[in-house]
Amino acid sequence: MGSGAQPALADALARLWTKFLPEILERVRVLERAAAALSAGTLGAEECSAAAAAAHKLAGVLGTFGFAQGTALAREAEVAYSADPAVDPAGVARLQQIAREIDEIIRAHG
Amino acid sequence: MSHRILIIDDEDDIREVAALSLETVAGWDVAVASSGAQGLVRAAEYNPDAILLDVMMPGMDGPSTFRELRKNPLTARIPVLLLTAKVQSNDQRRFADLGVEAVLFKPFDPLTLSAQIAGALGWS
Repeated sequence: MGSGAQPALADALARLWTKFLPEILERVRVLERAAAALSAGTLGAEECSAAAAAAHKLAGVLGTFGFAQGTALAREAEVAYSADPAVDPAGVARLQQIAREIDEIIRAHG
Repeated sequence: MSHRILIIDDEDDIREVAALSLETVAGWDVAVASSGAQGLVRAAEYNPDAILLDVMMPGMDGPSTFRELRKNPLTARIPVLLLTAKVQSNDQRRFADLGVEAVLFKPFDPLTLSAQIAGALGWS
């Protein structure tokens, strides 16, 4: 790696983070809406599948931008939504908490 | 030494970060495609030294794209590395059994992605 590569990469990554932030936040909104629907007992298969896909994408991208905890949380949500989450109060609360924590991680660096 | 890499990934953010990483850190030439179908065309045109191929894509997914690449004489011998956010061991075994050169995982470190690829392909 050239000596100038690391700062150049960091600058360019920061620009890409800003560019893709709305898209990344929209994936978090998908998780929030799914958790709310789960809580209300109205989560359908399509919305559940969309939540699993959004969580999968967040798991891939957050760590790539340096947010490893965001990836861990998103993976937990992906597993839950991929397994057709049961409507138990603890599970619902956890999925709501995951969406909230991912949002906080992102906004802290937004 | 410069290499030519084709990145096939439907996620704009991942595709752009990977391209940026390989161009900035390693100085490689990068082409991109946002779907398996587009990737098949681009691979035949661009004749890359290697292809970084996402697993989960709508329409033609990574494994299907890989099988189509192998059927075309123009692309059959291009080394393919799968890129996946799936971490379960049965997924990893299934991907490795396809015959790809390597399976790389998301999230990746943009600083070391090129070294991972070079290491997997034996590029010095």
